[in-house]
Amino acid sequence: MDINKIFQSEIHRKIVKFFHENQSSLDTPRGVATWIGEDRAKVKTALEDLVKARILIANRSTSTTGYSYTRDTRLISRIDKLLK
Amino acid sequence: MEESKNKEYQQELFDKLRKSTSLKKEEECFGCYMKPAAWWLLEKPNPKMSDLQKLISNNCPHFKKGPLPAKNTCSASIFDVVKKAAKEKKLVRFDCIANLHGFVYPIVQGDKLYGYIGACYSKKDVSAEVLDIFAAFTDAIVRETQKELELSKLYETIRPRAIALSTVHTVHRLISSTLDLAELLPRIARLSLQILRANRCSIKLVDAKRKLLLPKATVDLREKKVRLKKVKIGKWAPGKAFKQGRPIRGDDFLAIPLIDEDVIGVITMYDKIDKKPFTAFDQEIMSTLAEQAVIAIKNAQLYKEQEKLTMGSIKSLAKVLDTRAPGTYVPRASFLKIALAIGQEMRLTTNDLKSLEYAAILHDAGEIIVPDEVLTKPTKLTGKEYAIVKEHPAVGVEIIKHMKALKSATPIVLYHHEKYDGSGYPRGLKKDQIPLGARIMAVVSAFEAMVTKRPYRTIKSIEEAMEEIKNNAGTQFDPKVVDVFLKIMARKDIHLMMERELYGHQ
Repeated sequence: MDINKIFQSEIHRKIVKFFHENQSSLDTPRGVATWIGEDRAKVKTALEDLVKARILIANRSTSTTGYSYTRDTRLISRIDKLLK
Repeated sequence: MEESKNKEYQQELFDKLRKSTSLKKEEECFGCYMKPAAWWLLEKPNPKMSDLQKLISNNCPHFKKGPLPAKNTCSASIFDVVKKAAKEKKLVRFDCIANLHGFVYPIVQGDKLYGYIGACYSKKDVSAEVLDIFAAFTDAIVRETQKELELSKLYETIRPRAIALSTVHTVHRLISSTLDLAELLPRIARLSLQILRANRCSIKLVDAKRKLLLPKATVDLREKKVRLKKVKIGKWAPGKAFKQGRPIRGDDFLAIPLIDEDVIGVITMYDKIDKKPFTAFDQEIMSTLAEQAVIAIKNAQLYKEQEKLTMGSIKSLAKVLDTRAPGTYVPRASFLKIALAIGQEMRLTTNDLKSLEYAAILHDAGEIIVPDEVLTKPTKLTGKEYAIVKEHPAVGVEIIKHMKALKSATPIVLYHHEKYDGSGYPRGLKKDQIPLGARIMAVVSAFEAMVTKRPYRTIKSIEEAMEEIKNNAGTQFDPKVVDVFLKIMARKDIHLMMERELYGHQ
């Protein structure tokens, strides 16, 4: 998924904004849904889209998946510009 | 510090009051009644005369036009009113020198005074009752604004901590889902790198006898070649953190001791990705994560110990049984490996694989009830003898069921002589009615019986035994399991291991 296209979706944008502002965060779909005030099922789908776009990293275990922000500094500065 | 915080709060409060739509509406309402009024907000609890003069000159039309002595008299009289309002902490009305009317309302929270709302240039003298209403309304607006401000401050303070707490909780869930130390430690390292935004993490556990910290997991996300270094206790950051039992922080490293009752190791982070130094907040977060990590590591170590104990008991039991017919009950490593490889290929869970491993060792434990002469009889068994043999799976279950760790292996032990077409024993189960572990065990134990020495049959070669297994797919054995078995047997490592064990080939 193209990064510009991602930013056209409100929920994707909100998730990226959350992780950009809280780069040390590692959270489950339920946690992210709480922080951005969106529906958990929609957040779950969006989180996986963002993993495919390499904006998020999925840390998977048998019981849950924790999502964290990309470590790619170039991508982070590109996102920074887009968010501004 | 306190004073600067107060000043900051005061500034934020007045910023909010200036933008407050409720206050604007109130000014409009009372402005209509007072016909007209010049409103002003005085941001200082102890203003100077010049502050007041500046404010009135910007807002009062009469003041702007008046001569200088009149201006001074006007501002001096209002200045006295401000002082009175400050002292009494309540609204004070006044008449100005131009015979116009006004009032000063002090903005107070508890015993703290933050500033004033003032109105002057009113042609209508406002009654005390109306001013009471004004004071009550303004008071409500100021309180609401203060509450809003406190809430936003609380949000700014609590939200990052709540997010950090949620992160720690997620890490706890992610690391508690495994009891395998070899999987757990790299996972802790990777998660720590994600959270601290660092490039390298090393987890070292203590070898108390040798007074060393041994590297157990090192992850470097820069794809640098990782050298696993042992560290002497007291040396370098990890060694110091261990010895002193407290975090050691430098610009490009952060070593946190893993403390249970004693220090069991150290987790060290290196080089933040933004090249900034590690902070006190990083240290706080990492210390909390280390507490979670210690619990998970201790659980995994205990589990490993427990597993060793269970496996030791199982092997002892197998050894006792083996004294009756040497080489029959202590399985060769290659057969265990084949059984587990089939299980992995067929995507059994970690727990199911463990059960399969236990069952592979003890599946024939029930043969203890079979008399030696039957067990070692080279000729065909009589009906009565065969009936005794058929009881061994149920007896095996009776033996192992008292060990809690082996409970999950009981279906495999009970049904490993069932046949895919339903002609086996003890219950004549068919196809998927037979647990998958038992279907795997049926293939592996039959294969083992064919290629190892048994009193009742001649030894077959590996290839001959594989052919027989293949011929019985769909009747005696699950064809899917047979397919996987043949695939596993095609592996060079398995073949070599088996030849080494069976024929002593190097």
